[in-house]
Amino acid sequence: MSHETNSLAPEQLTEQQHMALVDWLTKLADDEFILGHRDSEWLGLCPTVEEDVAFSSIAQDEVGHAAFYYELIQELEGVSADYLAFQRPAHERKNSLLVERENGDWAYTIVRHYLYDLWDQIRLDAMVKSRYTPLAHGTKKMKREEYYHLIHFQHWFTRLTGCGGEARERMKQAMEWAEQDLDDLLDIGLYESDLLSWGILTQEPAKMRSEFYSQYEDLWGKISDLSGRRIIFSKQASKGRMGQHSQALASALENMTEVIRFDPNAKW
Amino acid sequence: MEKEMQTEPSYIYEVFVQRDHLDPMMHVGSLLAPTDELALQLARENFTRREQIIQIWVVQRTHVHSSAEADFHAREMDRSYREVSGYTENGRLWRMFKEKEITLEEIVRYVEQKKQSKDDLRREGNHES
Amino acid sequence: MDSLGLEEEFVKRVQSGAKIESNDWMPDGYRHLLIKLIHMHAVSEIMGVYPEKEWVPKAPSLRRKLALMAKVQDEMGHGQLLLRIVEDLAAPYGKGREELLDDLVEGKVKFHNVFHMEARTWADAGLIGWLIDGAAIINQASLLSTSYAPYARILKRICAEESFHMQHGENVILSIAMGTEKQRKMLQDSLNYWWYSLLFFFGPLEITPAARKMLHYRIRTKTNEELRQKFLAKYIPRIWSLGLTIPDPTLHYDSKLERWHYAEPEWETFQRIVSENKGPKSQERIALRRIAQDQHKWVRLAMTMGI
Repeated sequence: MSHETNSLAPEQLTEQQHMALVDWLTKLADDEFILGHRDSEWLGLCPTVEEDVAFSSIAQDEVGHAAFYYELIQELEGVSADYLAFQRPAHERKNSLLVERENGDWAYTIVRHYLYDLWDQIRLDAMVKSRYTPLAHGTKKMKREEYYHLIHFQHWFTRLTGCGGEARERMKQAMEWAEQDLDDLLDIGLYESDLLSWGILTQEPAKMRSEFYSQYEDLWGKISDLSGRRIIFSKQASKGRMGQHSQALASALENMTEVIRFDPNAKW
Repeated sequence: MEKEMQTEPSYIYEVFVQRDHLDPMMHVGSLLAPTDELALQLARENFTRREQIIQIWVVQRTHVHSSAEADFHAREMDRSYREVSGYTENGRLWRMFKEKEITLEEIVRYVEQKKQSKDDLRREGNHES
Repeated sequence: MDSLGLEEEFVKRVQSGAKIESNDWMPDGYRHLLIKLIHMHAVSEIMGVYPEKEWVPKAPSLRRKLALMAKVQDEMGHGQLLLRIVEDLAAPYGKGREELLDDLVEGKVKFHNVFHMEARTWADAGLIGWLIDGAAIINQASLLSTSYAPYARILKRICAEESFHMQHGENVILSIAMGTEKQRKMLQDSLNYWWYSLLFFFGPLEITPAARKMLHYRIRTKTNEELRQKFLAKYIPRIWSLGLTIPDPTLHYDSKLERWHYAEPEWETFQRIVSENKGPKSQERIALRRIAQDQHKWVRLAMTMGI
């Protein structure tokens, strides 16, 4: 059967497929939105003026990608993308804990973004041939943009871990912090085998995860000071993917809706 | 074999010219030359013998670091939010207030005038309410 | 030729419209004025990031959030373009990026009065885009004819990017102006807060010795008051058309003098804000700059020296 005739259109989804797809799209959208928001908090604060400009483009890309995913949900659920982005309470959010953490220093920002973009690339690879055509179409475009993000953060990561002194110490610390959230980041959720069997995802989730760790370890494995280290996983008490979030997200959401709350009847 | 050994090694130089003080440098082509200085002299005759320019740069190609993959320049998603073309409704909205939008070109023309024309002043002045 | 002869020759050239490049000979006085002017322009762009940056997290829709991010990014980008011009000019004095930005956190370089003020509401964020950018664009458009060619080229680029800022600012303001009673009140309040800052933005009425020197060298070709008048002529009718009241009962067009008559801002108060960094937000925003400049110095060291 050819790919086209096998494709899934929004109106062909079964109830269960619909539910699983919305759950998955929400994870994607919330990840991109909250990370883009965190990135935007770096405006005017980056270590160099040139990087400030470059980083802002990445922030805009992430929010732009979030808008795309929210629009897909809007199509399925009939709720506006702006509502989905701004007005949902924290417990309905499915972003990973990694992206909602406060920015911290530049080392944490780089490590976090690199890890996120690495996972995002693997995730996008698993969707570009999705049977759900709107998703396949959009992820193909996004993948082209995300390519630049990944090489950008790879470069920063290598440079900052590769040099000695304060930079490497900070990077090691940042890696330990960020790695605690990896389980949550890589969690596709209850429907992962369904998404695969319906062809909404086209990669074995277990393979996606092992690909992630092998690429990540390759990046620092050759640095003598780091090659002996082991990733320490911690089972988080709360799970972002299940709607259990930190205070950091609650404060961000509170801040985000200030204008909207000022006059709920208004158009801005 | 001896013949080859006597040949000076040549390098590829990329050539850039600037036509006016307000123009950016522009790439116009490349040439072969053995030294920076000769490259400059050759560029002068090979690229600018017919036109008035104010500056030439020659850069050895190996000193140019360029993007390797097309995806590096990917601009796929909607970016109209950051372009003038994303705000075409402004004209219509201003008309609701019996005014029109201002364009940058209009401002530049207006500021560069040595003196405002009387007409301009009268028109703007007449808005007093 | 002696240095006096060189200076005379130079002035003759710029006054007849010649453009100066960074490697050309130039009088020290010309170089100093350029450094002072463009350094202040650069750090003003950078400090202009903060009032609007505060509203990026609160922008009320995905599109507004994206647009404001893009706009703030452009301001920083303009800072970058301008800093590079100053760096080339200041190279003979061994002054580079690090020192030029240190000057900012140490209060040794001034920035525009408007960026010392508070952006209190979304209408303030919109008004900054509409009127402050409008004022800045008039100022920058007047500098397009500057005698210093690298500055002129960069200003061309800056002005082109500003055309998006103008449309974006207008769009935000128009949405508020068409909105609810509460929104319109917010907008009027915003105009009341910013009006006299806007008038001050163009600088004092009198032509100071430094300004005279800049006109002499054709670094600038217009006086502060000429530019303020142009701003008033372009924007007052539009402000009125939205049904807003300008907080100056004496404001009117004097057709005999062919100029707008306006109540002057409190020059000394505003001057103190700029020269002593004593505006409502001066210190807070300089502290933000320190996060980049001081707290992240380790990043610049690591990237350039590998330590």
